[in-house]
Amino acid sequence: MSNDILFLAEFAAGTPARSALELATGAAELASQSGGSAIGLAYGAGASEGAAALGAHGAARAIVLGNEDRPAITYAPALVAAARDAGLALLAPATPNGRDLAAAVVGSLHVPAFGPVRAVRIADGVVESEQATLQGSVVTTSRPADGAPSPSIVLVLANTFTPAEGGTGSAEVSPAPAAEESALARATVAESHEAEAKVVNLEEATIIVAGGRGVASEEGFAPLRALAEVLGGAVGASRAAADAGWIPYQLQIGQTGKVVKPALYIGAGISGAIQHRVGMQTAEHVVAINKDPDAPIGEFADLFVVGDLFQIIPALTEEIRRRKGA
Amino acid sequence: MKIVVCIKQVPATGADKRYTDDLTLDRTSVDAIINPLDEYAIEQALRLADAGTADSVTYLSMGPDQAAEALRRALAMGGDDAVLITDAALAGADEWATAKVLAAALDKLAPDVALMGMASDDARGSLVPGAVAAMRNVPLLSYGSELAIDGDAARVRRLSATGFDWITAPLPVVATVTDQVGEPRYASLKGIMAAKRKPLETWGVADIGLSADDLNGAALTVVTDARPPEEKAPTERIENLPATEAATKIADWLAARKLI
Repeated sequence: MSNDILFLAEFAAGTPARSALELATGAAELASQSGGSAIGLAYGAGASEGAAALGAHGAARAIVLGNEDRPAITYAPALVAAARDAGLALLAPATPNGRDLAAAVVGSLHVPAFGPVRAVRIADGVVESEQATLQGSVVTTSRPADGAPSPSIVLVLANTFTPAEGGTGSAEVSPAPAAEESALARATVAESHEAEAKVVNLEEATIIVAGGRGVASEEGFAPLRALAEVLGGAVGASRAAADAGWIPYQLQIGQTGKVVKPALYIGAGISGAIQHRVGMQTAEHVVAINKDPDAPIGEFADLFVVGDLFQIIPALTEEIRRRKGA
Repeated sequence: MKIVVCIKQVPATGADKRYTDDLTLDRTSVDAIINPLDEYAIEQALRLADAGTADSVTYLSMGPDQAAEALRRALAMGGDDAVLITDAALAGADEWATAKVLAAALDKLAPDVALMGMASDDARGSLVPGAVAAMRNVPLLSYGSELAIDGDAARVRRLSATGFDWITAPLPVVATVTDQVGEPRYASLKGIMAAKRKPLETWGVADIGLSADDLNGAALTVVTDARPPEEKAPTERIENLPATEAATKIADWLAARKLI
């Protein structure tokens, strides 16, 4: 058994997802603890050309699972072939695609799975992970059972690792080993519909200004956008705001939307229901603005501002703009 | 066209949840409900049955004896019959073991679509559907805001980075749906009465061709510690201030943490 640390590296339209860079750095960190190498498993459009550049973020090697734009799950057979007996751990982003591929490895290789993790390390030669479960009410530490095969699958939330920058290394690129026939490869895209407006990938934002029911309308998001812009962040929403059609579902944060881990989360007009909370509770700093002094978000925010978001947010935007200009 | 909906009984949202001394979740002493996201899978299946697309809807659950209550509640919403897998060998099952048991039960039930919710309230991996698909060697159609059947293929409408796709695969499949499929129906009084007469079978692991050895003590993972989260610093509050003064205080707070 090798001590290598594998990681999933998704590519789209010729560029790696930010998760690929974060996991390259995370895998390199764990590989330094295990005495192995960080190995990227690259898939998606642009993976062939882009895989070597993962070296700049910590990958020693990269294996290209495939280079086409097709459903991520269809890369499962190649991923399983590459992961078989290949390392101590496989880091996967805790995104829909990352989870689907990780699950396929669990079901094919009968390996243990952890996460999404709050922290992960190598201890006594095995993966040891910490995760919050039961909607954040319990923190558990877990390890593989004695004799469980490798690699251990580790789901990692965005922004858990910060991509190492300034590296000049180049990963040694190789093709994936021959894969077995699998029905998982039979999914195809029958139709593709593009939205008119471009939406950002919220999982990659380090500052998020999110709006909820209290924003009251599509136009109500304008002051939130202005604040996000001056902060260099992105706009998100609760399910109530997405259901109301004020904002696209791609920007919904919560149990059934994106799970985010920004450095700063500002929630405006969001009550803080448990389903929203599980999508943002690992943010480093939480600021809430709500006119209801008893809103549940006030119980777990770091800073709770009681007041009218339509007055406070423009004033805050102006104040930050003034300070940045100074 | 036969659908099996896999459902999980979970502690009620807001219930006092805890781990037992052997570091497994206490599933017997708390109020329990159908995992809320599984209700959307039930709703999707029943809509396909209402439309005449599905000929039968069966519910499948793995859990302690009292998980039969969750199955009765699902049957009260609609559907035909239910199977509970319960066995002492399954206590403390992890996602791998859960997938292995569901896959073996689904092999026996042989549905065209095995339908599941997108996540469970009491665990956060969402790995069971994909692991079941891999174990059964059938396609996975996941995170659908709608599931449709076209002859011998299924398709789901799934959010993409910028819009949405319809993703299709030949039957049989494992599919998961989101909370966008439509609000789950309530059980009517008539439905609750009818559910009492619907068949509900209980199987042990031997009934699905597995042994305790196959399940490696129900887990490939071990929990070595369970504890409450670290106490966070108390919330700072800003209230009863004019907007400009509140804004100055917020900006000071952000600046002190180098966020601006």
